Amino acid sequence: MHHVLVDRWSRGASPLHALDPRAKILSLAVFLIVLATTSANAVVPLTIDAALLLAGILIAGLPPGTLLIRAMAVLPFSLTFGLISWLAGDSLRAIGLIEKSYLSSVAVLLVVSTTPLPRLLGGLESLGAPRLLVLVAQFLYRYLFVISEQAQHMRLAAASRQGIPGAHRRSRFRAAAGALAVLFAHSYYRAEGINRAMLARGFSGKFPLLKPLRLKFADGLFLLAMAVFLVLVRVQ
Amino acid sequence: MHIPDNFLSTPVWVALDAISIPAAGLMVRRAGRDVEDTRIPLMGVMGAFVFAAQMINFPVGLGTSGHLVGGALLACTLGAAPAALVMTAIIAIQAFVFQDGGVLALGANVFNMAIAGVLAGYLPFQIWGAGRWRKQAIFVGAFLSVLVSASLALSELLISGIAMPQPVLLLSMGLFAISALIEGAITVSVVGAIEKLNPGFVRKAEASNGRTLAMLSGAAVVLGVAGFVLASSAPDGIQKLALQLGLTTKSSFHGPFADYAVGYFDSPWLRRATAGLAGLLVIYGICAAVGKMIARQRSA
Repeated sequence: MHHVLVDRWSRGASPLHALDPRAKILSLAVFLIVLATTSANAVVPLTIDAALLLAGILIAGLPPGTLLIRAMAVLPFSLTFGLISWLAGDSLRAIGLIEKSYLSSVAVLLVVSTTPLPRLLGGLESLGAPRLLVLVAQFLYRYLFVISEQAQHMRLAAASRQGIPGAHRRSRFRAAAGALAVLFAHSYYRAEGINRAMLARGFSGKFPLLKPLRLKFADGLFLLAMAVFLVLVRVQ
Repeated sequence: MHIPDNFLSTPVWVALDAISIPAAGLMVRRAGRDVEDTRIPLMGVMGAFVFAAQMINFPVGLGTSGHLVGGALLACTLGAAPAALVMTAIIAIQAFVFQDGGVLALGANVFNMAIAGVLAGYLPFQIWGAGRWRKQAIFVGAFLSVLVSASLALSELLISGIAMPQPVLLLSMGLFAISALIEGAITVSVVGAIEKLNPGFVRKAEASNGRTLAMLSGAAVVLGVAGFVLASSAPDGIQKLALQLGLTTKSSFHGPFADYAVGYFDSPWLRRATAGLAGLLVIYGICAAVGKMIARQRSA
């Protein structure tokens, strides 16, 4: 599955993996803002931005082909709107939508693939995201795979049982609603169990990071270099 | 409908980030006050449930199937503020891990789906959820939640200057209306089935405490409708608005800044974006004023 792959990538070892998540998040923000304000026909800056991303992928030791294909998840949406804009006679915008949304997607994927999500969320929290929101996102990510797997089992089971051709649509609709209700109840009781188990293990209301975040000199240097470089490319 | 990065013009995403950050902060604070600590894992697991629920297909006829979006269902089971918090977490995870929706556009997506969508979904349940029209209220809530999110997203794209010919616009509105109906049907039958398993899963509508939330939800619906009107008349509507505000070269304005204004507003993109930003600021001002009024009323 897609997210499992990204999760595995994010636990690699490379200079990019070793950077503090905050340095990566802020560099990503600079990159995205610079990209968003770059004109779609500014070929040189866009090429340099793309080359920068490619260099990042290679430095991080990620498979470029697989990653670039993953990032195409955005394309159905961009291509649709690109086509609409093109038909409306705005071909520059059409090209811009497609190339810039793809570059943004690659940039986000590069950061997520070099930062384990708990560290990424920890970085967001120390940059000011509300603690409760980060906590809920942590739980969500942790149980995403568990509940999804259960949903898949249920779907398989339902498909095996409902092989009767011509089963009434109404009854299949109600069966799906029942399945969701059961999934809901399972999730609910699972959450109660999780809560009790975590209290028993002394959960203090915060997930500790195995390696605490520490902003080193190299992180600051990276952020500064990225920001200066990107802005210089933008204003040329 | 998750908007990717680089679809919205800079003034639009900046304004929506500026609106969403305090709004989401407010929702988180409210949720933190309303929800005991023992329910924090529940909120996370419910977010995972909404993700997983998309794998279960509902046959809707003509060989197609739909799936749950979940905003209204979360609002009925967790309450409005926790539901908004969970939806915000979902949208953030989708943007970062699945590249579904942009990072700069997070503010826009959170505003459309987690704040306006959830509040619009909660409003009918809050008003009629206790009485005879309960089922209908849940249906209308789920319907509104999808429709409000979609029409807001559509109007933001239009304000950003993405040209959509009339037929495309009508077609997408029609598709959104159909998916909103499907969401209503799914939510009603799932809430019914959940209640059969354990009536305690679904909130008592009258137990919730807020006039504030009801008013905010009303504002969300109004905003959605306004967005709808805007979207269906735009981009002509926005240009007309700009014309009326004197933001065009054809205006009879001959002040010392005339040249500058011509240069700046010559580009239709900037003109439209400026008009859009002005509109958003007006809306933000109204929301802030209403919020302050409520706060004063409460402390009095």
